[in-house]
Amino acid sequence: MAGKVGAMKKKTWLRAEVGASRAIACLVLLALWQAIALSGLFFQDVVPSIDRVLFAFWSVLADPLFYRNLGVTFGEMLVSLAVGCSTGLAAGLALGGSPFLSRAYEHFLHYLGSAPKIIFFPLMILWFGVGPGSKVGMGVISCFFPVAISVAAGMRAVNPVWIRVGRSFRASPLQMVTKVYLPAMRTPILNGFRLGVGVAIIGVLLAETKLSNQGLGFMVMQSYSRFDMPRMYALLIIVIAMAVAFNTLAMRLAGSKP
Amino acid sequence: MTVRGPAMLKIEAVSKRYGYGASAVTAVDNVSFDVAAGEFMSIIGPSGCGKSTLFHVIGGLTGADEGRVSVEDEPVTAPHPAIGMVFQEESTFPWRSVAANVAFPLEVQGVAKRERLERARRFIALVGLKGFENHMPGELSGGMRQRVSIARTLVSEPKILLMDEPFGALDEQTRLLLGEKVLEIQQELKQTTLLITHSITEAVQLSDRVMVMTFRPGRVKRFVEIDLPRPRTAEVMTSDRFGHYVAQIWGDLREEASRGMAAQEERVRTHPGV
Ligand SMILES: Nc1ncnc2c1ncn2[C@@H]1O[C@H](COP(=O)(O)OP(=O)(O)OP(=O)(O)O)[C@@H](O)[C@H]1O
Ligand SMILES: [Mg+2]
Repeated sequence: MAGKVGAMKKKTWLRAEVGASRAIACLVLLALWQAIALSGLFFQDVVPSIDRVLFAFWSVLADPLFYRNLGVTFGEMLVSLAVGCSTGLAAGLALGGSPFLSRAYEHFLHYLGSAPKIIFFPLMILWFGVGPGSKVGMGVISCFFPVAISVAAGMRAVNPVWIRVGRSFRASPLQMVTKVYLPAMRTPILNGFRLGVGVAIIGVLLAETKLSNQGLGFMVMQSYSRFDMPRMYALLIIVIAMAVAFNTLAMRLAGSKP
Repeated sequence: MTVRGPAMLKIEAVSKRYGYGASAVTAVDNVSFDVAAGEFMSIIGPSGCGKSTLFHVIGGLTGADEGRVSVEDEPVTAPHPAIGMVFQEESTFPWRSVAANVAFPLEVQGVAKRERLERARRFIALVGLKGFENHMPGELSGGMRQRVSIARTLVSEPKILLMDEPFGALDEQTRLLLGEKVLEIQQELKQTTLLITHSITEAVQLSDRVMVMTFRPGRVKRFVEIDLPRPRTAEVMTSDRFGHYVAQIWGDLREEASRGMAAQEERVRTHPGV
């Protein structure tokens, strides 16, 4: 009993230590940043002082334009996730369910899946224009591959006994999918979605910074071209926070139990 | 010898091979038999002799290389509505509660939710799992899960019941009790039953007829008619005739089982590490 209490104490103490260590690291980094900003070592404004970044942060949050652009990026994300995940799921089910299709096409999925998607951006611009369409396109082709690959592999790993049980009770193909395969594949499907969310964020934001007229990526690049460094840093912080939020949400979803 | 009714299930010259060329294994070789309507027949044979392979062919899950299976003269080429199967492997759906597992076949048939849960509850009680309806399979023991899969097949009240070592994961007492329960249902529904087992006493206790299979290739070695009165009470099971049947089947099986063991030892010698 005493030993257990001792162990628990030690554990909470360790957690406090971890927190303190992180706080100190943050403070050191911020202090370093501030020192460099004030030293004048870099060309003016490349490393703006913290107070100026904070001020820019508030002015961004007070700017109605920011919310419009946030909405655009958010919308692009949602549409590309919806389209990318559903097409990826369908393709994965087809490949996992048919040895013929898998033999014929799965190589290409792996080759294309590992290619950097940004090379398709010019095509997306040609097909869907400089607006949100091409960003959604980038998000979709980023999201599609990891989802399809993970679902196809997950489908092949379904316990064959469950398939036999379903067939022996004469489940229709649709019932096999909805009552056997999908529930049995919960983990690989959610894992695929999680990977898909991660790369879709990259695809959308990368596309926005390359060529666009709306969205958070566009605002970042706009601040950059105006050399408004404090505002650019403030926007970057927001973009990173948004990406982290999406990823955490996807991770929670994948890790949660029914 | 008892008088048997018309054939319900007919297996004609069924053969099944796995693999090609030199590494091909003939799992089932030219097996033929009939199961009469309402008959309880058991198949017994050494491990690896092709019982499960035959089971899958009869259930319409895998095609035979030669021969044919028919139910009331209707050829079986896909899972047949008259056949219900209990698998040897752990087969409950871990994402469904006990009740939802047992109700699965009814759900597939489109039975209304209220009715299917009611019917499921009856069969859950029958296999002694009353009170566990809302548990998930992961919370049950292996033997309890096996009882869930037995209930799941019984709930669809198939005309022909195929079972592949359904009591394998159970202890002796549960196995005896559950065997009696299944027998009760079988007699009540006049189900034609084909039981695959490796327990000689179980085969003699439950069956009208026992088929002994040879080890690789799986062939029919002998049919043994179990001419004992029903119900098979403790008195019947301790009778000399019961013991005689057990001894006779063990004599046949012993030969095949030792051939099987020898083949496995040989395999270990020639393929070390496999
Ligand atoms: N899918 C398969 N591919 C290749 N060989 C197989 C396959 N399934 C079974 N076999 C082989 O066929 C033979 C018969 O297997 P089967 O599962 O029918 O035996 P069994 O009589 O059910 O054994 P047990 O009593 O141990 O369950 C075995 O030698 C096995 O190695
Ligand atoms: Mg078997």
